[in-house]
Amino acid sequence: MVLPDASGDVLSEMDVDAFRRLFPLRFFETHLVKSTRPDGRSLAEARETSSALGAVASADGSALVKIGSTRMLAAIKMEVMTPSKESPDEGCIAIDFHMPPICSPTVRPGRPAEAAPVVSKQLSDTISSCGMINLKELSLISRKAAWMAYLDIYCLDADGALFDAALLSAVAAFSHLQIPVVSMNDDGKVVVLSGDHGGKEPVNKGKRKLTLSSIPFSLTCLLHKNYILADPTAEEESVMETLVTVVLDSSGQLVSLYKPGGPVLAYTSAIQDCVALTRQRARELQTILDEVTSSMEVD
Amino acid sequence: MEIDRLDGRTPNQLRPLACSRNVLNRAHGSASWCQGDTKVLVAVYGPKAGTKKNENPEKACIEIIWKPKTGQSGKLEREYEMILKRTLQSICILTLNPNTTTSVIIQVVNDDGALLPCAINAACAALVDAGIPLKHLAVAICCCLAESGYVVLDPSKLEEQKMKAFAYLVFPNSVLSILPEEQLQVGGEPVEHGIITSVTQGAMSVDDYLHCLERGRAATAKMSAFLRKSLQPQLPIDSSKAG
Amino acid sequence: MAGKGGAAPSTYSPSPTTQKTKSRIFGNDDVDWVRSDGREFHQCRPAFFKTGAVNAAAGSAYAEFGNTKVIVSVFGPRESKKAMMYSDIGRLNCNVSYTTFATPVRGQGSDHKEFSSMLHKALEGAIILETFPKTTVDVFALVLESGGSDLPVVISCASLALADAGIMMYDLVTSVSVSGLGKNLVIDPILEEESYQDGSLMLTCMPSRYEVTQLTITGEWSTPKINEGMQICLDACSKLAAVMRACLKGPDSTLEE
Repeated sequence: MVLPDASGDVLSEMDVDAFRRLFPLRFFETHLVKSTRPDGRSLAEARETSSALGAVASADGSALVKIGSTRMLAAIKMEVMTPSKESPDEGCIAIDFHMPPICSPTVRPGRPAEAAPVVSKQLSDTISSCGMINLKELSLISRKAAWMAYLDIYCLDADGALFDAALLSAVAAFSHLQIPVVSMNDDGKVVVLSGDHGGKEPVNKGKRKLTLSSIPFSLTCLLHKNYILADPTAEEESVMETLVTVVLDSSGQLVSLYKPGGPVLAYTSAIQDCVALTRQRARELQTILDEVTSSMEVD
Repeated sequence: MEIDRLDGRTPNQLRPLACSRNVLNRAHGSASWCQGDTKVLVAVYGPKAGTKKNENPEKACIEIIWKPKTGQSGKLEREYEMILKRTLQSICILTLNPNTTTSVIIQVVNDDGALLPCAINAACAALVDAGIPLKHLAVAICCCLAESGYVVLDPSKLEEQKMKAFAYLVFPNSVLSILPEEQLQVGGEPVEHGIITSVTQGAMSVDDYLHCLERGRAATAKMSAFLRKSLQPQLPIDSSKAG
Repeated sequence: MAGKGGAAPSTYSPSPTTQKTKSRIFGNDDVDWVRSDGREFHQCRPAFFKTGAVNAAAGSAYAEFGNTKVIVSVFGPRESKKAMMYSDIGRLNCNVSYTTFATPVRGQGSDHKEFSSMLHKALEGAIILETFPKTTVDVFALVLESGGSDLPVVISCASLALADAGIMMYDLVTSVSVSGLGKNLVIDPILEEESYQDGSLMLTCMPSRYEVTQLTITGEWSTPKINEGMQICLDACSKLAAVMRACLKGPDSTLEE
């Protein structure tokens, strides 16, 4: 969509917003050659990220995460199930990612967004393959009862890098999770114990927190020509289409390298650059996560 | 260092490939692709007039319908559809037929490991059969990483389940060109070393991944030769360019 | 599903579902009970409003009444669906959905299918549809957490989001409900009170014009009771409108009623 130079005069008189809408690619490229982006960031810079725990009172664990304007609300509800025969000592995690119509003008009610099931699947794969959660910790009574952790993530505002924000909110929600103290009642059902225990012995004493080993952190990068743009906004994603999502765990292992097609081919050097950017980003995210979890412990 | 594979293959050895084109009468283009016992059938219809909502009408649109062997399609199938769509979009020349839709229907006949790469290869052959304009072909491979850090290619279903991690990689096929080799290089690497698509599962070190890339590239050279050969008889004139 | 494939096993919530002890408080004869959150019978929960909650939308608002938390986004005016006939006036399209964790037991929010059409009816009369002919304005609401009086909160929040989007309205729309519990009327009921109510009355109005856009009554009501309930609601609606107006005007949007 590059215009011939003759039209330069017209362009110089054109309103910036109009230019941005009519020639989005050219608009971005004029920024890129100056190693900057329309929102004032440098190419490798991620947007401001923040997180808050315990946003949903009715859930057992919850977190609200903001990356720029992208916002995710994740909440975990614990339910009880009978474990499967193959793994009698393991619980289960069910992850669902939702894009309600409020989050973006492209999502309409009744027609779920294309991206939602794909992000759900990616999240499930990532969380299971990095081994963050030991499913054995979700067991209550061997062969009889185990926890099913329903993690639902809602995108409240979609402005690019949805997977990154969703993963961070999932991790934050798990770190906030307080497993309810339960006991077995006379009907063989597991029920929550209220304050005075009612003479029943809790079955999961002292197991109210999950140990999170090797936490995954991700960064989505956009490839355009030789440029690598970290943490793209929705507008950047729609103009330049090649996305690479790298997930590293806290020990530096590669959990996922996800590049679904796109017009730009990724060569080894670009892959290594993306991995290096993710390493740096993982440290930032770790600090953010440590801050919110420690501030919660003080309360 | 050698590890034994169940079917007696060497780590680098692919399963026997088979590709037949024009297998369906009513489709505009079709192909079936086998890698050992994994078999996928692909039909291509189009280009048909008009694009769907939310698609750019200035470009050709590609629609993927993934039909699993049994049962209904769920999240996994949605994800495969999205990956295939993005992968095929990157090899098609979308500006030639703006405001049209090409439907690609993937029918899984049998899944014995490396299903997504097999489907990508099949879809590529079917697109050629339908005469959809392409920039180049794509070749897909599955690399598996064993617990010991050893890499095996094109795993069967059993091997896939036993492995610590695996990567589905898609590369452009090698180009036959009269241009001198330096002009075909991008940043010191040949074009066919660029990754179109990468999907991984399981944790591995970054070096292991780069090792997978290397092995995958080596293997796809053979596969792209096979793909070219199986497409050639019906393209006698353009064989040097279409490659 | 993470971990295992195949069909999901059936699960149940461990929280106790029978609340036998609670119903005693709302006994018919006992007039002197205290509401569980310590409010007076005719006292609303503190209301919090914030506009511009969703950047991707043309206008949006977040509302929090106690545990009831709602986000509403407004999109448009934009192109109507292709199947729609030509229309001289604009169209309003509303949708209300619940998060799976909104209710105490997971995934019960889908019982509120009628809320979308009720939201539509409540807002339709206040919007000047002639100002955007041939196009559609979409109002989408998501209940993040359900803490009682969900629909009135959604309606008030939606009118604020419409104002934030710059859609022309005759007036802000505010809505309040009362529950009849025995002899008493309690305003702005919480979830627990709603589950034991004998009847409910929800009133939606344009306070500055003193016009009612929607009135919904369920259960058994005597005429004087209805009058009393309406008067309480109208009064609360005009106070609520002041809070919403303050939110639209200034950055200091945390006003308590």
